[in-house]
Amino acid sequence: MSELLLALLAGIWLLGAWMRIYRQARFYQIEEYMSGRYTRWVLAQRGRSLPARPITAWFLGLAAGGMLAEAPASPAPQVIALIAAAVAVYPPREIEVKKSLAATPRMQRLLAGACLFSALVFVALLNAIRAFALLDSNLLNLVATSLTGLALFLLAPLLLVAGNLILQPLESLLRRRYLRRAAAILERVNPKVIGITGSYGKTTTKVFLREILNARFHAYATPKSYNTLMGISLAINRDLIDDYRSEYFISEMGAYVEGEIDRICQLTPPDIAIVTEVGPQHLERFGTLDNVKEAKYEIVKNLPPDGAAVLNWDNPYIRDMAAAGYPDIILTVSRELSADVARAQGVAWIARDVRETLDGISFVVTRLATGEETRIQTGILGEHNVTNLLLCIAVAHHEGIALRDIALRIRSLKPAESRLAQDKTAAGITIINDGYSANPKGVVSALKVLGLHEHGARLLVTPGMIELGDLQDEENRKLGLLAAQYATDIILIGKEQTQPIARAIQSTSFDLSRLQVVETLSESIDWYQQHLKAGDAVLFLNDLPDTY
Amino acid sequence: MSSRRRKVVAVIFGGRSVEHDVSIVTGQQIMEAFPAQRYDIIPVYIARDGRWFTGDALAKLDSFKDENILQRAGVKACLLSPDARHHGLIVDPLAGRFSRSDVRRIDVAFPALHGSHGEDGSIQGLFELADIPYVGCATLGSALTNDKILTKTVLRQAGIPVLDDFWVARERWLEQPESVIGEILSMFDFPLFIKPATLGSSIGIGRADTEALLRASIDIAANFDRRILIEPAITDGIEVNCSVIGFGGRYEASTLEQPLSWDDFLSYEDKYLRGGEGMKSAERLLPAPIGDDLTARIKETSLAAFQAVDGRGIARIDYLVRPDKNELYLNEINTMPGSLAFYLWREDAYTSEDLVQKLVQLAIDAHAEKRRTLYDYQTKLLDLASQRGLKGGKSLK
Repeated sequence: MSELLLALLAGIWLLGAWMRIYRQARFYQIEEYMSGRYTRWVLAQRGRSLPARPITAWFLGLAAGGMLAEAPASPAPQVIALIAAAVAVYPPREIEVKKSLAATPRMQRLLAGACLFSALVFVALLNAIRAFALLDSNLLNLVATSLTGLALFLLAPLLLVAGNLILQPLESLLRRRYLRRAAAILERVNPKVIGITGSYGKTTTKVFLREILNARFHAYATPKSYNTLMGISLAINRDLIDDYRSEYFISEMGAYVEGEIDRICQLTPPDIAIVTEVGPQHLERFGTLDNVKEAKYEIVKNLPPDGAAVLNWDNPYIRDMAAAGYPDIILTVSRELSADVARAQGVAWIARDVRETLDGISFVVTRLATGEETRIQTGILGEHNVTNLLLCIAVAHHEGIALRDIALRIRSLKPAESRLAQDKTAAGITIINDGYSANPKGVVSALKVLGLHEHGARLLVTPGMIELGDLQDEENRKLGLLAAQYATDIILIGKEQTQPIARAIQSTSFDLSRLQVVETLSESIDWYQQHLKAGDAVLFLNDLPDTY
Repeated sequence: MSSRRRKVVAVIFGGRSVEHDVSIVTGQQIMEAFPAQRYDIIPVYIARDGRWFTGDALAKLDSFKDENILQRAGVKACLLSPDARHHGLIVDPLAGRFSRSDVRRIDVAFPALHGSHGEDGSIQGLFELADIPYVGCATLGSALTNDKILTKTVLRQAGIPVLDDFWVARERWLEQPESVIGEILSMFDFPLFIKPATLGSSIGIGRADTEALLRASIDIAANFDRRILIEPAITDGIEVNCSVIGFGGRYEASTLEQPLSWDDFLSYEDKYLRGGEGMKSAERLLPAPIGDDLTARIKETSLAAFQAVDGRGIARIDYLVRPDKNELYLNEINTMPGSLAFYLWREDAYTSEDLVQKLVQLAIDAHAEKRRTLYDYQTKLLDLASQRGLKGGKSLK
């Protein structure tokens, strides 16, 4: 009887540990299976690393069980231990899930591995305790089982990491095979590869470029924001496998560490490379902006000598890349310089007379070498997109599409997902969605767009910017000042990380009764749905991952 | 890539048509014309029974003397995939357990097919589905010029001189021959030409000087087509041909020729086999001796006519001309002329190598022009429909 109850008790704890592993897997995935980052995140979250309810339940159960242990034959302590265990492991309600677990094959392997491993550890520990401590007392046995169960439960995040480590050899074998397959497919389809990197603007430029190249060719672009080695090989293995029509493969190359772009370029060696911006994005991973620049420059170094580098001249770090003089063809674009200055500096394409209304941006693009020019008009919002469009124009023209055709195509462009996409709700409220990875440049553009709404309330909803390293507080302070200037109402999400923004707003004459700080995105949605009316506008600026 | 690697051109010939053999000759001439260092040529042969093959052996005319050509090593079954992603041929599509089928991307398709299923818009429709650039007229231009009755209707509308005509459907001919004959005789005097509406190369065409011959000729023509065209024969004229090349309103006209076999009528053998090398060595006057004024009018008319039928690529346009009366009638437009009318362009300093490359470029330009059109405009219709249910569908409009 008591053996059976003990086994049941162990089972409950193990099940709890498994559920916790499953819950935690989502965050591990968001942190891209990087054990260090994930572990730091767990430890920083006291409520997650040492959850109160399970520990309290365990203690109370132990105390109550101890008091009732007077009658040795009574099953009461066991029953109490079972109840305590059940209470302890019952999963808490999740606050807000923005990105749920993606059941990728790798995740399934990891979950299976971690669960199996935790079961083995648990059984081994229980047997060890029995064998060495020679527990002849039922009560001691009960305490030992409960204690081991609790330990297992609390260590679930580590078991997940351990599972990952154990599976590492298998994963790297599978990864190598996967990459080889992608490389073979790319070789067979044999498209011209255009690589795009930069601290921000990659995805938008990629989507624009695909649409413009399609005016004459067939271009494939990696979907969404796929920009890692595995993401790109996934795109190839999934989409390019029987796609022989693609004449261009546009590969978005993200860099979180030095050498990453090198590795991506080995898989998709670029013929044309575009660098959009070098900025403080992910600065906390790189340390300095010079490191960011070096990491991005890898894409240019990987070009063949007769390849083409297409560079944003307005960014001083990227200007350095152009100065290095490789490869033979370097096409630079600027939206800040006048024609004379730009010509003197050897810039290939400039934009002038930039106008922005709620209908979109418009500018005159000039090819300085020939004086060819045309007015570009588009429904795309945000002045930073002028640079993105210039980069695309330079590439498309280089590939033989007439400027007039390029202009025609740009007219029908649509914004990439969640990047300054403007929409109207049934209630007549304009929603500007700029939820994707806000950066200092994009923030300015987005707030100016909000400011263009002259009638009605202008609500800004933002959790601020992150991952900007040492520059984060300063950039968020600037965000606060701009927000006070362009918005009439502000909702900040997350008290702690938005403090620099709030302080900046308080330093202005902004009506503080119209500033709120809430904890979740859904609270802000509830608020605007109740308080805004037709003609008002909301800007959703940046949307943080669940690990923030 | 497009600049880096050689262009892959699939030359498609043979076909399910009475002009199958002519097409083989045209196909070989086209393949020979391409400079090998800049193009990869894939021969694609469509057998009389409609099977498709590819393989290097098919690129030699001599191979076709061998009855077992299709069993030769390297000759494999293939099909042109309508799936836009394949953008080319599936080689060995029914490969079994020990072999595998393969996709062979092609940059441009070059149909060298004459007559039915090749010049009539059918294969052009396949190229459109496959989203592959192709040489020659598009679906509409091919289908239209393939039909003599509709071509004349459209040309008449465009103010281009064509002979009057009468046409009859086979069903009506079989049921009420007397009324048909009555109608024809009330309209025209003998001699008459009787032509199946959609066949080229003189097959099924008859000339009648008497009512008995007229009946016989319609019967024969009715074996080759469902619709039969009857028009007056011009006995005091000469035939003059002009070739046109171009796309999108930018057309050029070639030097004119006067074939010398007008005396009675061009038989099938006359047209293609005299001299053994196709049209090249048929007897002709080049340029046609009809005076500058008439020459200019014919060239002008040819450009206008090709535009009127939405032509692109190359065509040979045939006229009946009465030089003494300064009259001309457009007779037909061949959008895939035998030997591609190479010989007509020599006087204009276009070699056959120039011509095939120009045609490939036109195909790419035309395809690029089509790409200007957006085909996948994403709407929210499906989202809305799934929210409201299909019954609410009407309100979506």
